[in-house]
Amino acid sequence: MTASSTPLPARRVTEVRPGGRWGDLDLAELWRFRELLYCLVQRELKIRYKQAAIGVGWAVLQPVLAVLIFAVIFGHFAKMPTGGTPYVIFAFTAVLPWTYFSEAFRRSAGGLVSDADLVRKIYFPRLIVPLAQVTAPLADFAAGFVVLLVLFAAFHVAPTPAIVLLPLFLLVALALALAIALWLGPISVRFRDTIHALPFLLQIWMYASPVAYPASIVPERWRLLYSLNPMVGVIEGFRWALLGSSQPDFRAMAVSGAFIIVALAGGVVYFRKMERSFADVI
Amino acid sequence: MPTSSDALGDVAIAATGLGKQYRLGGGPRHNTLRDAVTASFSSLGKPRSTRQVAEQFWALRDVSFQIRQGENVGILGLNGAGKSTLLKVLSRVTTPTTGRACMTGRLGSLLEVGTGFHFELTGRENVYLYGAILGMTRAEIARNFEAIVEFAGVSEFIDTPVKRYSSGMYVRLAFSVAAHLEPDILLLDEVLSVGDLAFQRKCIDFAKGLQKRNATILFVSHNMFNIKTMCERVIYLRNGRVEFDGPTARGIELYEADSQLSEVTWANGAGLSEAGRPVTITNVALMDEAGAPRGVFDRGERLRLRIGYKIHCPIESPNFIVAIIRSDGVPCCNFNTALDGMAVEATSEAGVLQLTTPPLKLVSELYRIEILVRENGFDRLLCAQGGGSFHIRDALLDTHFGVFHEPGHWTQETAEAGVPKPPDLGALAEERRVRA
Repeated sequence: MTASSTPLPARRVTEVRPGGRWGDLDLAELWRFRELLYCLVQRELKIRYKQAAIGVGWAVLQPVLAVLIFAVIFGHFAKMPTGGTPYVIFAFTAVLPWTYFSEAFRRSAGGLVSDADLVRKIYFPRLIVPLAQVTAPLADFAAGFVVLLVLFAAFHVAPTPAIVLLPLFLLVALALALAIALWLGPISVRFRDTIHALPFLLQIWMYASPVAYPASIVPERWRLLYSLNPMVGVIEGFRWALLGSSQPDFRAMAVSGAFIIVALAGGVVYFRKMERSFADVI
Repeated sequence: MPTSSDALGDVAIAATGLGKQYRLGGGPRHNTLRDAVTASFSSLGKPRSTRQVAEQFWALRDVSFQIRQGENVGILGLNGAGKSTLLKVLSRVTTPTTGRACMTGRLGSLLEVGTGFHFELTGRENVYLYGAILGMTRAEIARNFEAIVEFAGVSEFIDTPVKRYSSGMYVRLAFSVAAHLEPDILLLDEVLSVGDLAFQRKCIDFAKGLQKRNATILFVSHNMFNIKTMCERVIYLRNGRVEFDGPTARGIELYEADSQLSEVTWANGAGLSEAGRPVTITNVALMDEAGAPRGVFDRGERLRLRIGYKIHCPIESPNFIVAIIRSDGVPCCNFNTALDGMAVEATSEAGVLQLTTPPLKLVSELYRIEILVRENGFDRLLCAQGGGSFHIRDALLDTHFGVFHEPGHWTQETAEAGVPKPPDLGALAEERRVRA
């Protein structure tokens, strides 16, 4: 190369070769496409409530309606013990992380299929799709959080200082949704069954998590197994940080945290390996 | 600008032994678990070999080539020859089964215009989204935003959701974003033929602009006019293999020889490709009025076409149609037995039809012939095959003058006379004589 007056950027070399090698992650490329992540998240947010009369109001209305239903059935009729907290607030502190998790999970696992045209015709690191899909529902979470703060003020409840740990619990929910999506996404490209099974799975999962009821009503001998559900730790964590209720089982959380990390790392490798054939099978 | 490092000899794309295998039919490719399970049960009894043979299909086989920086190369081939697969592999949408390719420089690809646009978003939002999908940074898009919108000609509607756009506007905006990608290597799949003719010309001018910047363009087109204007070199694919790699003129000849009698592009998927086609064209010979084989005609000459056909099953009053289409895809004229009052007897198995055209007043260009057979006038399409191509020669009259040229009759009124002159009857009679 001879010198030129303006330094030319080094020419990027793109190599195309048969797939099949494990462990070729190329995370630098993911970083190059970070703006696409931003744009896809933006797209999700913009189209979500387009042509809806209440628009973004739905982000607020959805958790509120869910809490109202719970309040009537579990609070009023079933009289769930809440440790003195008004049931509405008790339920809202769980509905908020749960709604985020179920949205993130549902959308990221099916995201590749709904963007099938893109996958078929344009190259980009496919990891961007599930990443965008777990990020976008954070906006709904933020809207719901504002409602929660209003409820706190209305019921004269003050959050505990442990509220600073809230992002950590939210991160666990995000990582969990992403980890599952990385495994389920490639499968749903091949077998659409996963998409039909998702709502059912989520429903079971919700009842296996302390959304409508306190974890304390689970019998002692099942408790250990129960708390291996990472969402138990997340929801208990939320209640602990916001309401000062009993501490979540941090040991169980450490176990499920380790599991999430392994699943996430394995998921990235699996996803990168499978994405080579997405365009052919989707 | 010093571009010394981009010397002519630099290789932009080097492909060696590229191959892509697809599985066909009901192989292990099932959309639901249930299908996979039932298929594996139903194939239990069959020997393994018969299960596998039909399922493998090489869309690309052992494709090797080198393309230098700044070269424009057209990819030619009949349907299913592997053109689009090649671009898909090079653009990394899918991975090859064998071989490898190395591309140096920023890679841009446009396999379909507008994939990635979202109908609910405005033009402006889509420009940013689509740009990001194609690999542009926000800063780049912002810098080029005005140019993109102006090139597409949609500035008044840029804040309208694209679902309100006409299909033309939509396609123009999408192409415009992609056109401003400023890639070093651009892969285009049949996208230059979108939009109206004016926009097509604009796109070609743009591609030529890229060429000046020493960008490398690899593109697939069925439009020989575009291929001829853009490329000095073509790669001709046949059944997934490189059949020819060299000068455009020779490649087009090969392509045209192959597309003679082959099924025309648009009829693919119209249910024709299945076996048991009722009619096939077996032979087409293009001649002048005297019966001598010709490929080049002067404007105003008659063409004579002998069409050999074979009838495989009885059909009711077939209508044989000869369509003449300009190389840029504009249908120019059409001769058919139904309108010309010729009743074709479809009883015998094989036969020959002969068409003598009136003097063709088409302007100087390359034209191709398509031969179609329809049932009962213009009902069901029974057959659509290529019938070769020919040139029309004229020193002056080309596409700037339109599709065809016929002399008109002129009169002049001047202020003094006030009375129109009678038409020059002598000249009129002379022309009639020439025509007859």
